[in-house]
Amino acid sequence: MSTLAILLFSLTELAGSFHPLFVHLPIGILLLAALFQLLSQKEKYQSLSSAVDISLFLGMCSAIASCISGYLLSGSGDYDENLVFNHQWSGIALAIISIFAWYLNRKGRQITWITILMVLLIVLTGHLGGSITHGSDYLSRAFSTSKTEQSEEKRKPIPNVQQALAYQDVIKPILISKCYKCHGPNKQKGKLRLDMPDFILKGGKGGKAIIAGNTDESELIKRILLSKDSDDHMPPIEQPQLTKTELDLIHWWVSSGADFDKKVADLVQPEKIKPVLLSLQSEEKLEKELVSDIPEKEVEQADTKVVQELLARGVAVIPVALNSNYLSINFVALDSITDSDLQLLQSLSKQIIWLKIGDTNLDNDKLKSLLKLTSLSRLSIERTAVNDTGIAMLTSLPNLTYLNLVGTTVTVNGLMQLKSLKELRQIFLYQTSISGQEFSQLNKIFPKAVIDTGGYKLKFLESDTVELKSARVKL
Amino acid sequence: MKRDALAQKLKMEAQRAALQLHTRRQFLKEGAMGFGALALGSLLGSCGFDGSSAPNAMLDASNPLAPKPPMFPGKAKSVIYLHMAGAPSQLEMFSYKPELAKLDGQDCPQSLLEGKKFAFIRGVPKMLGPQANFKQHGKSGLWLSDNLPHLATVADEIAMLNAVTTDQFNHAPAQLLMHTGSARLGRPSVGAWVTYGMGSENKNLPGFVVLTSGGNNPDAGKSVWGSGFLPSVYQGVQCRGEGDPVLFIKDPDGMDRDLRKASIDAINKINQEQYEEYKDPEILSRIAQYEMAYKMQISVPEVMNINDEPAYIHEMYGTEPGKTSFANNVLLARKLVEKGVRFVQLFDWGWDTHGNSASGSVDIGLVNKCRNVDKPITALILDLKQRGLLDETLIVWGAEFGRTPMQENREGKDMPFKGRDHHAGAFNMWMAGGGIKGGTTYGETDEIGYDIVNGKTEAFDIQATILNQLGFDHEKFTYESQGRPFRLTDVGGKVINDIIA
Repeated sequence: MSTLAILLFSLTELAGSFHPLFVHLPIGILLLAALFQLLSQKEKYQSLSSAVDISLFLGMCSAIASCISGYLLSGSGDYDENLVFNHQWSGIALAIISIFAWYLNRKGRQITWITILMVLLIVLTGHLGGSITHGSDYLSRAFSTSKTEQSEEKRKPIPNVQQALAYQDVIKPILISKCYKCHGPNKQKGKLRLDMPDFILKGGKGGKAIIAGNTDESELIKRILLSKDSDDHMPPIEQPQLTKTELDLIHWWVSSGADFDKKVADLVQPEKIKPVLLSLQSEEKLEKELVSDIPEKEVEQADTKVVQELLARGVAVIPVALNSNYLSINFVALDSITDSDLQLLQSLSKQIIWLKIGDTNLDNDKLKSLLKLTSLSRLSIERTAVNDTGIAMLTSLPNLTYLNLVGTTVTVNGLMQLKSLKELRQIFLYQTSISGQEFSQLNKIFPKAVIDTGGYKLKFLESDTVELKSARVKL
Repeated sequence: MKRDALAQKLKMEAQRAALQLHTRRQFLKEGAMGFGALALGSLLGSCGFDGSSAPNAMLDASNPLAPKPPMFPGKAKSVIYLHMAGAPSQLEMFSYKPELAKLDGQDCPQSLLEGKKFAFIRGVPKMLGPQANFKQHGKSGLWLSDNLPHLATVADEIAMLNAVTTDQFNHAPAQLLMHTGSARLGRPSVGAWVTYGMGSENKNLPGFVVLTSGGNNPDAGKSVWGSGFLPSVYQGVQCRGEGDPVLFIKDPDGMDRDLRKASIDAINKINQEQYEEYKDPEILSRIAQYEMAYKMQISVPEVMNINDEPAYIHEMYGTEPGKTSFANNVLLARKLVEKGVRFVQLFDWGWDTHGNSASGSVDIGLVNKCRNVDKPITALILDLKQRGLLDETLIVWGAEFGRTPMQENREGKDMPFKGRDHHAGAFNMWMAGGGIKGGTTYGETDEIGYDIVNGKTEAFDIQATILNQLGFDHEKFTYESQGRPFRLTDVGGKVINDIIA
């Protein structure tokens, strides 16, 4: 191809890509022209009639420009032909009507039904265009509940993955959520359609999408594995990306022969894919429940005077995040806690959710005044004088998830009292008198919690302290 | 009375110094600027430039180390970053490459050499098979070599990054890139960024402490823990395991602590007046540093003293009090984190195994280096875990780059020992704790560990992940300097979501 031809080709492509921008001009201008025309029939707005001519003229020009750019864009072949056909002809009809309307207006004749027809055509063409870019259900989507669930990308667990159909149950849902938008019934970017086995096998502009058993030559696999910096990476970076699991599954399905009918059990399964397949049987874990142990309920801002007083004492008072009123409090710089400290803490009872008060002179009595901090979820009272009696009082802190009792005199009897704390997830008991036998007893009381009694030891290895002088005998 | 007189004298001195600064030119300049600034001020005032949305609003000038909230609730509260300066060989520690063993002693194929630059390899080197045995460990089946027998016992706590890469193959620029996001001098280190963002939880200790071992500081010098364009109060404070923990922190002979306090108060008063006049944040940094140094005279020797640790802890870490060793530094790191220090940076020197000496070889020297660090690092993970601190302490292990699958042939000649050249293309790092998903791996390299197959991880990605775990969006965490906002990760970086719990 000569340079000129290439230049021309890219110019047409460029002009085509402006279509989604141009189309808004005739919509706006012609609607305004119609409005002016109808209004100017009233005496009050008669002055508007002089604006009708110019607005019809501009609207007409932009309608023609939209037709041309639209035609160039349709040449890319990325769109569903039926949808394009309707949109194209209603657009052309609109352009013709607008020429007509402008011409008649020039001649001093304003025919209301022509104006109404023009408005109807604007609405129709606009809707058809919208269906092409946003999917045919873009209007109804807001009302249908079943569709929104699907778009939330929460995959349903497969009861028995080995008995599931590899394509239908495992691969297709991935394609639906991550590929159909551009390579489905409505749009076929790069002439590729992935919603039917035949289309998948046919491939697109870039060649065969998949070659059964040969992942290295399969364009689809190549594109999804490309780094995100690459222009050819799929899905495009602004779209939802494939997860590691989805990547592994597609890769496995193609390498195992890209069969459209067989069950998972009938396909070759290398060691690597087994845990991935198994993970499909359980619900996808939502990151939220792991990350955040901050109450969802909002709380009012803490009294700044109280916060300032604590800060002046050397207590670290930190909101847990920039936009949160919940507080994390740490007495790390202090070795004593005074009665006035306790009072200050009490007046922040709603806000404090994390409290570190270990290595201080905290005792049962002082702990009592902290029981008002009912929002507390993490509490560290390591190496304090708090004993079983004090521990038992913690039942009035229903939101506790983390409890650090390292180096206290707590015993199993004390911990038993906390049975009612259903949220407890982590209990640290290093340097307490609790022994291995009691440990299993505790596991029964707190089945959901990780209990760490510590005391880890490393194996003694002679090599640790010996310096190697010459290389070891050949391995 | 004596103290008041001293304060008075110092104040006079400062006033004289200030007057000397007031030259004729400065007077004229101030005069002219003064009128201009008045007009400009009223103009800008009407445009919403009222200071409330000023750049660097996060900086509390009067107390730059005050504890501050992260952007979102982060999992980690502090970081311990273990950097093996000199670059350990991933092929003898983490990267299991049986195919490379088969190629041992063969000439390196041309295709691997074309268009590549090496620090020392010239001509056609020979391939060098792995000089260690590998086994899978833990439930996750993590591959580790027999150079790391202790780490193998905590394999399921670790998230291994198999495909880290850099574009620098010399130590100093590569270390700078890893820690400051730029291979050139002048950017703040990740520890400085974190201290700027979060302050210090303990008002008596610096937010960012650096400990070095192995006999040398890292090649890039102190700039790998520098504060760059951030106020210098955020730079790392280097502490020593032997002698005074911080140099020149003791009172000189004849000066008692009260006199020290009085003189620091006087100096700060003067500095405060200077600040009122010039509004230079560096003056506030200086005030904060004087105060911090005064507090550190007591607090640092206390926290840096490992003598009081029980015997079984010493045994676990392999520490020997009174010496400078990596093991001692690791134990100190735990103590510092426990005391609320945000960022502890450890550098261990001596991993540069070119094969020019026994201690610089991958089959002798590297084994000994591994023996030095294997036990303390494992102890650190377990000790933090039993103290309930592992979840909120992010451990990062890494280096500036990796080593080649080829044997080094400096200037085209055979080396006396088995060694490998610097390799920027692919190497390993790992993270643990701090909300990282243990027992995971990310990234893959080819069959000889030369190039990356997938999961490419760059310094920016590691920095983005560190910031993310602490509760910062690396794209929004900025500091305005030279008229534009700067980021640690410049225009790159993506959080490695695959290894996050």
